[in-house]
Amino acid sequence: MGYVAVKGGTDAIHNSQQLVEFYRLKDATTPLDIKQIRTQLRMAVDKVMGEGGVYAPEYAAIALKQAEGEVFEAAFILRAFRATLQRKYYSEAINTREMFVRRKISASFREIPGGQILGPTRDYTQRILDTTKAFEDQEAIKKFLTDFKVPVNSDKLAEITTFAKVIDLLKNEGLLKPIDPDEDRTLKDITREAIKFPAPRSARLQMLARAETGGLMALGYASMRGFGSVHPTVGELRYGAVKVKVKDATGRSRYIGKIEVTEAETISAGKSAKKKSAPYYNIGYGLCFGQNDTKVICMGILDTAMRTPDVNSPANDQEFVLYHTEGIESMGFVNHLKLPHYVTFQSELKNIRGAVERSAEKPTEQAIQSPQLQSV
Amino acid sequence: MQDQDYILCECELQLLEAFVVTLETTVEVQLVKQPALCMTMIQAEDSVEFQPFYLGEALTTECELLVNGTRGIGICLGDEPVRAYCIAFIDAYSQLSDVPMQPVADFLSQQAAIIEHNAKIENDLILRTKVDFKLMEQD
Repeated sequence: MGYVAVKGGTDAIHNSQQLVEFYRLKDATTPLDIKQIRTQLRMAVDKVMGEGGVYAPEYAAIALKQAEGEVFEAAFILRAFRATLQRKYYSEAINTREMFVRRKISASFREIPGGQILGPTRDYTQRILDTTKAFEDQEAIKKFLTDFKVPVNSDKLAEITTFAKVIDLLKNEGLLKPIDPDEDRTLKDITREAIKFPAPRSARLQMLARAETGGLMALGYASMRGFGSVHPTVGELRYGAVKVKVKDATGRSRYIGKIEVTEAETISAGKSAKKKSAPYYNIGYGLCFGQNDTKVICMGILDTAMRTPDVNSPANDQEFVLYHTEGIESMGFVNHLKLPHYVTFQSELKNIRGAVERSAEKPTEQAIQSPQLQSV
Repeated sequence: MQDQDYILCECELQLLEAFVVTLETTVEVQLVKQPALCMTMIQAEDSVEFQPFYLGEALTTECELLVNGTRGIGICLGDEPVRAYCIAFIDAYSQLSDVPMQPVADFLSQQAAIIEHNAKIENDLILRTKVDFKLMEQD
C-alpha cells in the first residue's frame, strides 16, 4: 500500500511543532545546558553519535535536547545535519593499539597485557535505583570530586602506556582463521555508494558501526540463542581515546584531535571445510564511536556471522542484518505508515466491502454445515 | 608538527587564545579562509586482518591565514573556530624566520606539561579499576 501526496495543513503542522515545544517547556523548569547533557547523559550522547554516524558530542547533545531525549530522532537530526557540510578530509586509519585506554577487559584470558582494567562500567553492579540522585546538587558533586581525586599522589603518577592486544596472542600462535585471499577487500563508502549485496566487509563494518544498538543486540542475541551459530567469547573489549590525523592542503600530516571509541574482538570456534584440516578461531570485529559495549560485541557476532552466509539464519544474511539494523531508515519506514494512505486504503476497502457483500449473497459451505454457529 | 598540533588541539582554549593575541600584534595577519565547519571521514581498520573501513564522520573546523605572507592552516575536531584560527596562526608563525620563537617554544612546553599531567591523573584514576579476578577454587 502506498502513501499519497497531500497538501494543506501548514498551520496545523506549525502549531503541532509549537505544541511539542509547549509540552517540553510548559513547567518552566531550568533549561538544560548542553554541557550538562554532554557530560551527565554521556552514554546517550555516544549512542546518538554512533547511530548518527557523526562524531560531534556537542551537536549530539543539542540534538538530544531538541528531540526530548528520543535517541532515534536525535540520531536522525544529527545525520541530516551531517549532510549539510562538505567532507573535506579523510583521516589516516586510527590506531586502536595506541589508544589512551579507559577500559580494557577480556573474557577469554584472565591475565592480559597490562591487566584487566574495568574502567567506567556498570558491570558487576546491582542496578538498584539510587534515589539520592534526585537530590544531587553542586555541593554533592564538588564533594564527590574532591573525595574521588584525593588519593592521587601527583608526584608518583604512572607513565601512560599503550597495551598489546589480546588477540595478538592467538594470532602469534597461528590459531586464527587464515586470511581468505578471495574475500573482497575493497574500501567502499556506503554514504556515497548505495550498498549492493554481497557487500564487501568494509561496507558491512561501516553499516554496523552506525547501526542501531537495539537492532544489533536483537540479532546478535538471536544468533547466540540458536537462530544462527555464533556464540563467541569476548577476546578483548577496550574503550578509550584515539588520535585522529589528516593530511592538510599542503600534504602535511596533522593531528586534529582525538575521538572516543569502543572496540571488541570476539572469538568463535570455526568450522573447517575439510575434515582433517586444523581447527581455528574466527574473529569478529566491532568498533563504534563513544562508549557502547553492547554495540561492539554484537557487531563482532554479526561480523563473524555474515562471513559465513546462511539464508536460514537471519544473523548470517547480510541484507537482513544490514537493512534492518539501520535505525534511521527503519524508523523512517515504520513511521511512514502514519502518512496519509487514503487513496490506496480506500481502494482496498472498496475491494474488501465488495468481497464481503458477495460472500453474504451466497451462504458459505461452513455456514451450511454448522448452522448453530450463525446463531452465536 | 604533530607534537605542536597535539598540544594546540588539547590545551586550554582560553590560554591558547590569550597567547595568540599577544603574538598577533607583532605581525601582519591576513585571513584567507574564515574558520568554517566541515567533515572528516574517519578511517579505521579491523585489528586482525587490517581491512580498512570507514567508521563515520567527525565534525571539524578549518581555517587558513597568512602571517607576514606565510601560509598557516589550522584544523581541529569539533565546532572550534577560535582554536582553528589559533592553530593556523601558530602554524604560520612558527614557519617564519624573522620572529622570536622562544615564546612559542615556552608556551608549547608549558602546555605539554599540563596536558601530560592531567592525562596522568586521569590514568591514575583509571588504573584504580584494575582487577585480578580469582577463580572460586582459589584463595
